[in-house]
Amino acid sequence: MTGGVRDDKPSWSSRFGGLTLGRVLAPLCFLVAILVLWDLANTQGWVSDLILPRPGDVAVSAYELFETGLIWEHLWATLFETLAGFALAALLAISLALAAGWSRLLRNMIQPYAVTLQVLPMISLAPIIISAFGFGYQSKIVMAGLISFFPIFVNTLTGLTMPDPQEEELFRSLGAGRRKTFTYVLLPTAAPMVFAGLRIGLTLALAGAVVAEFVSAQKGLGLLVQRFSYQLNLDDAFAVILVLTAIGLLLYAAVGLVDRLVVFWRRESGLVARSRSRRRRFERRARKAQAPGPTPQTPRDPEHHEPTNSDPRHQEATR
Amino acid sequence: MAITVRRSNQQLGDVGDTGAAGGSDAIRLHGVGKTFDNGFEALREADLEVRPGEFVSIVGVSGCGKSTLLRIIAGLITPSHGVVTVHGTPVTGPRRDVGLMFQRPALLAWKTALENVLLPVGIHRRVTDADVTRAVGLLDLFGLEGFAFRFPQQLSGGMQQRVALARLLMTGASVRLLDEPFGAVDELTREHLNLELLKVHDQDSSATVLVTHNIFEAVLLSDRIVVMTPRPGTTAVDIPVPLPRPRSWDMLQLPEFQRIAAEVRHRLVVPAISTGNVA
Repeated sequence: MTGGVRDDKPSWSSRFGGLTLGRVLAPLCFLVAILVLWDLANTQGWVSDLILPRPGDVAVSAYELFETGLIWEHLWATLFETLAGFALAALLAISLALAAGWSRLLRNMIQPYAVTLQVLPMISLAPIIISAFGFGYQSKIVMAGLISFFPIFVNTLTGLTMPDPQEEELFRSLGAGRRKTFTYVLLPTAAPMVFAGLRIGLTLALAGAVVAEFVSAQKGLGLLVQRFSYQLNLDDAFAVILVLTAIGLLLYAAVGLVDRLVVFWRRESGLVARSRSRRRRFERRARKAQAPGPTPQTPRDPEHHEPTNSDPRHQEATR
Repeated sequence: MAITVRRSNQQLGDVGDTGAAGGSDAIRLHGVGKTFDNGFEALREADLEVRPGEFVSIVGVSGCGKSTLLRIIAGLITPSHGVVTVHGTPVTGPRRDVGLMFQRPALLAWKTALENVLLPVGIHRRVTDADVTRAVGLLDLFGLEGFAFRFPQQLSGGMQQRVALARLLMTGASVRLLDEPFGAVDELTREHLNLELLKVHDQDSSATVLVTHNIFEAVLLSDRIVVMTPRPGTTAVDIPVPLPRPRSWDMLQLPEFQRIAAEVRHRLVVPAISTGNVA
């Protein structure tokens, strides 16, 4: 059976999910070029140090912000506002989208507004929200939540209304009701779209929290950026922005990680891993049930111990 | 059956006698018509009887209402006119004794081959060990031993369609409806899958209706071939296939095979030209 299977070792590139030298080196070179150009702009006097600090100075400032511990309370404040706002928005947006995906009447009622409200620049609401919810965490959470709500809602609803007519027909012919079709087909089909919405939403929540802090706050990275800018202390302002970027990247990566775990079937590596674990679970169950009654025989996977990137099509050909 | 000339049975005029007469038929369609909401008349005065254990192919040009006819039998579409019974009882919606298979395998990407095969059982009740054993056996039957824990994307197109075939058998339906099931796979895989289908058909007494464009496939598999004509779609001619079973692709050389294939082709082409002249 294994005659036609490629048995070469996976290359380094495939082991790291396509992280070849080129894919790491190329952007790195670009970054270095930008930094050199930036530094040159300062040393050659193209731009004033007052407006654009030298990259080295920014790095030192960033180090000092952490070294003195000044940044921590602000960092936690912004992170808390972002995550709380995002969590509330995600909960609300997904439940509402699920309801709208289920009920056509509800969908018709709210979909046009959800889509229209997307074009409203939510940031313009920040002053109103501050006056409504005060200067504390509350207003920042509301702002973060408001701005991240719509992409999550619209994406989830779009995902739920992207039906595969053949799969729906299949489920109808199998005698599945609406609820079964919804949970078996519609929800998993929508999952990738939901996660795309969550990614956008989380990034926007961070932006919402920072903007609300600009308007009025006692703590937060947005407040720091504003304060440093007013003091013309741009080294520190840029350093805080650097920290904000890092937070944004980490949050983005976190959603990406959950996405990979949940929507495993969109990546080859996820499929291979799940395929293995399903097999193991099956074997364990079969062993447990060994004593009484007939036990299902474990189907053997000829490529079980083979490298991950082998192509099953090769087997088809040799069959 | 031949060409239908009757125009008498408006609506559900003759439910009574079809109930009795259709008792021995696995499928019975009588004067079935379908006009969609947008005014398109897909089907008019279509008749079809399929006995248990019989394999009937429906061939016809695109848009002649073949798929509509199949979906009416499956209970997915309600006919505008006529009577449809399966095993003597009127079709009012999808039912457990009727199984359907499509051109695309329509497998769930997030479920393994085994889980996909178990789906017809799993959506109705808890899956038992006996179910699993049966599903594994079906996968083995179609040469998929060792691929039970693969996900659809890890399988070739032909393998995916074989999983879909195993899933169809898992329903235990005694009426099997196949809508161009091998239309999307390559020619060699198609011939192989046809043999799988033959193997299945020869093993039990289920009635099978196959919608196809492929004349040779129809002749190889069927006991009868029904030719449909378009605008509006109707069941025009019924051609028996008196070849012995078990069948094989070697029969392609038989003069009888060629004669039947030629007749189907002739029937397919001639009405299309004549309606073209009329229109």
